[in-house]
Amino acid sequence: MSASHEIETRLRETAEKLLREKRVDLFLGYEKASLPFRTTPLFLTSPEEVKRLAWNPFCTTNLAVYLPRLFKPPADAREAKTAPPPPTVGLVLKGCDTRSVVALIQERRVPREKLMLVGVACPGMVDWRKAERALREHEPLGAGEDAQGNIHVVVEDGTELTLRREEIVADACLECRSPTPSIHDALLGTPVEGKDPEAARQQTAAFEAKPLSARWAHLQETFSRCIRCNACRQACPVCSCCKECLLDQTRPRWVGAGTDISDVTIYHLVRAFHMAGRCTDCGACARACPMGIDTRLLARKVNQEVEDLYGYRPGEALDAKPPLADFAADDSQDFLTEP
Amino acid sequence: MIQTQSGQETGPAKRDWEPKIVAFLCNWCSYAGADLAGVSRIQYPHNIRVIRVPCSGRVNPVFLLRALQNGADGVLVSGCHPGDCHYISGNLVARRKFALLKELLQYAGIEPERVQFTWVSASEGGRFAAIVEKVVEEVRRLGPNDKLVKKL
Repeated sequence: MSASHEIETRLRETAEKLLREKRVDLFLGYEKASLPFRTTPLFLTSPEEVKRLAWNPFCTTNLAVYLPRLFKPPADAREAKTAPPPPTVGLVLKGCDTRSVVALIQERRVPREKLMLVGVACPGMVDWRKAERALREHEPLGAGEDAQGNIHVVVEDGTELTLRREEIVADACLECRSPTPSIHDALLGTPVEGKDPEAARQQTAAFEAKPLSARWAHLQETFSRCIRCNACRQACPVCSCCKECLLDQTRPRWVGAGTDISDVTIYHLVRAFHMAGRCTDCGACARACPMGIDTRLLARKVNQEVEDLYGYRPGEALDAKPPLADFAADDSQDFLTEP
Repeated sequence: MIQTQSGQETGPAKRDWEPKIVAFLCNWCSYAGADLAGVSRIQYPHNIRVIRVPCSGRVNPVFLLRALQNGADGVLVSGCHPGDCHYISGNLVARRKFALLKELLQYAGIEPERVQFTWVSASEGGRFAAIVEKVVEEVRRLGPNDKLVKKL
């Protein structure tokens, strides 16, 4: 029996108990999807339905993205009178999702006391694009996990193939520093060691080693594929932060809405900058991108810069203050122009 | 763009090109510093276009990107020295923003000289002139900004 199967059983028990005892109104989890390598988010309200809950190596979605919408503050006094009280929500969280929830709690967009966090120590989730690439011309019909944690796939002619997990997990998982949720009300699975941050730093250093013009050319080539569908923004649990997103404003229109390369570049730069000190590197943006743009290229740099300058890692501690909402008298100012 | 007699378009003639710098100056220190430079008759290059803002903390990074997109060759942001902010800590919050922004833009391949930050107090007319001279000189050396400019 695979490790994820055991977790799935315990997860169903936990969710059933929470729903039956009415400790949560809503339980957020994953359900098997119709395509292999995929799952779909599941919103449970009754204990009878818990058998739909799934836990497997394909539970990639960051469920924290739904929380701000569930706890949206009333728009005005009249709405405040008629609005139903906020629900209590239980949800399944991997390490990265936990960091996102912590960031949301810090920004007071989600109340901690209304959440029941069921953490799962995460060995890394499969990137379905990588998996399909690894299968080459084969058409997958079904996929599961074996006892060693590798992925076995049934393909079109009925043969079974095994894909090594390390080769097909998402890029973000390969750099994940806290795969085991640090904050939780229940924890399932055996704790997993975090990855060495050096790997991510080497990637940034490799990009930085290129000359200025090559870096610009690389980004222009990447962004020229962007269709400005805003999926990266929508998939991000901590973005869409403002009452009205700057990118949606029309008076003035700060960033053009089309696919002009200059507008697209500014869009990505602004998004990377807005995520400074908040990006928990869950990889949701990269996963959401239909054009396969590596959105984490800029985010990774900003994260490292925030850590180096202000010693801050997003989503690690509930009582920490986000660095851009704070300052210190002795912050570095080497970047200033002096006559 | 310059239309030549044969009807062909050419880029801005390097000989005639003068850098265009957009300067965001805080109302309480740097704007007054620029004013002092003026009333003291200190000479400095006329390449800057000043935009007065209440505080350097008011400067949204998008302002700077928009300026570059609309054809500015460089951007300068100047506020009060740390500790002198009219709003106590506006410039300190801004300092964190600008430090990250400058790193990010450089990482993305935009020359760091195009986006500059400094502090100028109301009594530092000379310093303001010297800063402007330096910024204009550095941007002149880089040549016209062609990276973020929106081509219509």
